[in-house]
Amino acid sequence: MAETLVLIELDRQQVKRPSLHAITLARQLGGAYALLILGHGLDEVAASLISYGASAVIVADDSALAEPLADRYAAVIAEAIRQQGAKTLLGSSSTFSKDILPRVAALLDAPMLTDVLALEKSDGATTYRRPTNAGSMLATVQLEGDRRVLTARATAFEAPAADAAPCAIQQLKFDAGGLPNGMQFISREERVSDRPDLTEARVVVSGGRPLKDSEHFERLVGGLADALGGAVGATRAAVDAGMAPNDYQVGQTGKVVAPELYIAIGISGAIQHLAGIKDSRIIVAINKDPDAPIFEMATYGLVGDLHQIVPQLIESIRKG
Amino acid sequence: MVAPMTALDVNSTTREVFGNIAPWMQVVFFVMIAASLAVLAWQVLAHFWQWRQGRPGGFEKDWRVWLERLTVYGLAQKRVHKKSLGALLHLLLFSGFLVLTIGTTLLGIAQDGPYYFHHGWYYLLYELTMDVFGVAFCLGCLLAMYRRAFARKPSLGHNWRDWWLLSSLLALGITGFAVEALRLHYTQVQPWLAHWSTVGWLIDSTMLRGIDLGTAKTMHLVTWWLHTILVAGFLASIPVNRFLHVITGPINIAARPQRPMGQLVPLTMEEVEQSGRTGVHELADFKQQQLLSLDACMECGRCEDACPATATGKPLSPKAVVVDLRRLMSLGGGDVHQTIRDETLWACTMCQACVQECPVLIGHVDLISDMRRDLIGEGKLSGPPAKALQQIGNQFNPYGRANADRLAWAEGLDVPTVETNPNFEYLFWVGCAASFDPRAQKVARATARLFMQAGVNFAVLGKEETCTGDPARRIGDEFLFQERAQTNIETLGRRQVKKIVTPCPHCHNTLKNEYPQFGGQYEVQHHSTLLAELLNSGRLSNELGETDPITLHDPCYLARVNGEVDATRAVIGAARNEQFREMPRCGKKTFCCGAGGGRMWFDEPPSERVSNLRAQEAIATGARTLATACPFCLNMMSDGIAGTPGGEQVRVLDIAEVLLDRQTSARPK
Amino acid sequence: MKIVVPFKSVPDPYAGAGEAAKSVINPFDEIAIEEALRIRERGEASEVVGVTIGPAAIDEQIRSALAMGMNRAFRIDDARALDPYAVARILRVFIEKEAPQIVLMGKQAVDDDSNQVGQMLAGLLGWPQATFVSKIELIENNTRVQCARETDGGLEVITVTVPAVVTTDLRLNEPRYVSLPGLMKARKKPIEVLSCEQLGVSVQPMTKTLSTSRPPKRAGGTRVESVEELMVKLKQEAKVL
Repeated sequence: MAETLVLIELDRQQVKRPSLHAITLARQLGGAYALLILGHGLDEVAASLISYGASAVIVADDSALAEPLADRYAAVIAEAIRQQGAKTLLGSSSTFSKDILPRVAALLDAPMLTDVLALEKSDGATTYRRPTNAGSMLATVQLEGDRRVLTARATAFEAPAADAAPCAIQQLKFDAGGLPNGMQFISREERVSDRPDLTEARVVVSGGRPLKDSEHFERLVGGLADALGGAVGATRAAVDAGMAPNDYQVGQTGKVVAPELYIAIGISGAIQHLAGIKDSRIIVAINKDPDAPIFEMATYGLVGDLHQIVPQLIESIRKG
Repeated sequence: MVAPMTALDVNSTTREVFGNIAPWMQVVFFVMIAASLAVLAWQVLAHFWQWRQGRPGGFEKDWRVWLERLTVYGLAQKRVHKKSLGALLHLLLFSGFLVLTIGTTLLGIAQDGPYYFHHGWYYLLYELTMDVFGVAFCLGCLLAMYRRAFARKPSLGHNWRDWWLLSSLLALGITGFAVEALRLHYTQVQPWLAHWSTVGWLIDSTMLRGIDLGTAKTMHLVTWWLHTILVAGFLASIPVNRFLHVITGPINIAARPQRPMGQLVPLTMEEVEQSGRTGVHELADFKQQQLLSLDACMECGRCEDACPATATGKPLSPKAVVVDLRRLMSLGGGDVHQTIRDETLWACTMCQACVQECPVLIGHVDLISDMRRDLIGEGKLSGPPAKALQQIGNQFNPYGRANADRLAWAEGLDVPTVETNPNFEYLFWVGCAASFDPRAQKVARATARLFMQAGVNFAVLGKEETCTGDPARRIGDEFLFQERAQTNIETLGRRQVKKIVTPCPHCHNTLKNEYPQFGGQYEVQHHSTLLAELLNSGRLSNELGETDPITLHDPCYLARVNGEVDATRAVIGAARNEQFREMPRCGKKTFCCGAGGGRMWFDEPPSERVSNLRAQEAIATGARTLATACPFCLNMMSDGIAGTPGGEQVRVLDIAEVLLDRQTSARPK
Repeated sequence: MKIVVPFKSVPDPYAGAGEAAKSVINPFDEIAIEEALRIRERGEASEVVGVTIGPAAIDEQIRSALAMGMNRAFRIDDARALDPYAVARILRVFIEKEAPQIVLMGKQAVDDDSNQVGQMLAGLLGWPQATFVSKIELIENNTRVQCARETDGGLEVITVTVPAVVTTDLRLNEPRYVSLPGLMKARKKPIEVLSCEQLGVSVQPMTKTLSTSRPPKRAGGTRVESVEELMVKLKQEAKVL
């Protein structure tokens, strides 16, 4: 029986690596923690999770769970919590966890905190730090009640080491037939890409509206990302203009990233975008406006025409 | 039959009227003409009742203005004059028709009036004049037919009725001459006398030779009746086609209210509460004068030719707006938005080119503005322009920047403010664009430095300055505009401002022409005028030095709407500079950059951008510098130039920047 | 079909620094209101009802919402600092009373950024949920809602049976502009005020904010003049290439 249950996110039977960072938060909280995965055909992926120091890897495997429908997943996760007698449910911030975990919280009559950045324990009380107002404020928060649900911002916690002694794999027993039926999966855009995931990449190259169109965007931003082996991001303006798909969007209402190197091309630095990148280690900004706000946050800033600079940069990198 | 005259008997030369027409036929004639005039009057009355469906008023009351306008635009046809076939043929048709009509009327008066004056030298000159203008008239018809058949300008509108009209007019002309020729023949007029009726005489001596008198008399009668029936039919059918403009055109020319071009009509809360609407939702919400103006349109298409929206493929043609509303009016009125699409209304840049071109003084921009106000009231605006309006409401500028940052552009410059220099002479009204747009901030800096160099006693309001409200008024939220206006007028009053100078033509227009509507009266100058004065008085150096080829884009709201074209040229030294070239469509007939009417805040696909079109024109002049005098033009043209091949060579500058460059190079090293 | 739109009054997210921020309707909720109105304008719904929780000071935002075109609006009078779970519990009672077919709301409030209330509400009601929606369509005679959702992996399409909770994402629509006369007309529409007592709900928030602070400002760096210089810095100084 574990005090904490950590929900690990899967994508087509592969672990989404950022979701593992929630394990680090579990370790910080202390006590035993179990990992939970849901889906169908999970034997292999379950086996890959046994060395993370969990008390068990709990598997809910059924064809009814082939797609992450919130009503079904929440019911099963709540059941797992009950069976484990767990008090805390953790996940890593993603659209998956944001969709499902609040529903679980309601089923458990528990409060929830999203985007936890850090926790602090003093005098037996635990406080959590999380961002508000597009990250322009930090709040220190305390929770009451028996149980709680938390999502951790993956970039605020390190990737956990997978060097513990292997643990058991448990199949969760639940009534698959009794699961709710009100939601139906229709389709998902399948975009196959060689590039790393935006939230996992070491290098992210992002473009803004001045890239003019998707052809230029792919050639310059995509080109530079490929030269660096990185992922591609975009501002809201670029996505709105149809230059990039919505899952490239980085910012307060898109993805939050914290790569080693973030290169912002033709991005002025509106606060909503900056909210998504401020924890990057090195930020490089390329913009023709010397007064663009992004230069206040960039480690290195280069003022000039991106249509000239980016091809030069790609050339320079290729030459090594 | 009239006895042949002797050569010496000039004074008694005359002609018999109704010579071949039996008395009973004369009665029929009068009845016919009376009937056709009645039919005409009845139709005109029907139109009049349609105009009456509108809201009362909007008419010019001063008869002296009527007289002036009718003379300038009606008789002298000021708006029609142009180097074009259309202008020429209209001159011929107009003068011909006018003279022939006056002539016929005079004949009628002479015949039925107390004193018979239709003889002697008067008569001879009369005959000659009528013939000359008759030829002009027929020539005009033929040119019009030629133009319609071969030039086929699309904005003219092509309809079978137009051919019918031209054919009828030509037939009237030809039968008129035929009647004259036949009369000359059967009355055996002496050659020396007949020469005065030149065309008739020519026809007689060529085509009617050898026809015996009896036949000629019969032919005359037949042709006379043909001509008369044509006249009667024509009169009755005037309202059915374009020709109606001969009646409605002068009425609108006289009745149109006298207002500065850049001024829109305010709305009051009472009006809104009464009608439950802002602006025009149904045709009957327009003023009566506006409805009448719809009928004055003769579909010449000049407004459409001048329109930047039409030129860039947007769904707006000012002519179509007028014609569509007119059709709605003829069908009894109703919801204007069923006829005019929202996109049509939003596409307008309010550059006033259409208003400037219209020969009958229709106010297209007012029609569009009134309908936009209703769209705003109905919640039909969303997206970036809605955001701009929200930001004007919340942050007092359309850019959504903190109003407290109004002096960010002045960093490092030590610009006097109303606090540090309370005894200023000129208030330097910077405007939102020059305060917040990084490109336009340079204009504010350049202007301030020039003023300081010339020792002008000026001050800026700093964070007391808020948006004039111009974008709100143009986009259609009249009350947001009035809110800003009231606040600004209060501030200007408190700071005891008398003279204002501003680099933005939109601020200039609003402060000068629209703030008086709410009690704010100031002497407002565009910075070009003050800078030109400073050059003139020697307080700034007028040295030209080496210059690249340079051209000037006149901002619509400065040049066309407020008539200022000389000061901008003086500031860049155009007259003395061999390297200066004019753009096509320059001066008061400038072509819009695309930002007016609130369009600055609308998204547009690149293929529809007016600025790209204008940029091509600028690049084609071969200039290396494109000067302009408006921060919006600066923004639009910079983008346009940057996005057009050949634009890499061209830099876009405000006239203040051009002048400042010259000052710095003129200063002794 | 009745649609209930819960909305929140938040400080204007676009206000400049150092100025007292005006309050506005939470932008995501504005999008939800706009969508509900469009559904009604298409004839697929008959009533759009708004509800918000707060003190009388937020009435101006309620009038803005009414001015956009809502039929009715409720304010649940409660001036406390509530957390998402408390909000969800209060709303649940209101929703059960109003019995709408769809609850349409913004996915998150731009001050709190929690993104929880819609999902919690759905869990409490036992209704299906569709979150972060960028396209909504009513199908099968208004008994199901087909939604495109913006997820990390791209667009996902699901259908949910009615009644359901739907939360809106940014790209769903652009809300209509409301002008002053619209706001004045809205003054005539009543705002019904209910207390928690009248609703019959008593909840305590389970989250307590102890303090807030500004995160350390990231120090600005250096300007480089050329691509060559940038490459040198990235390789040697930052050691990231």
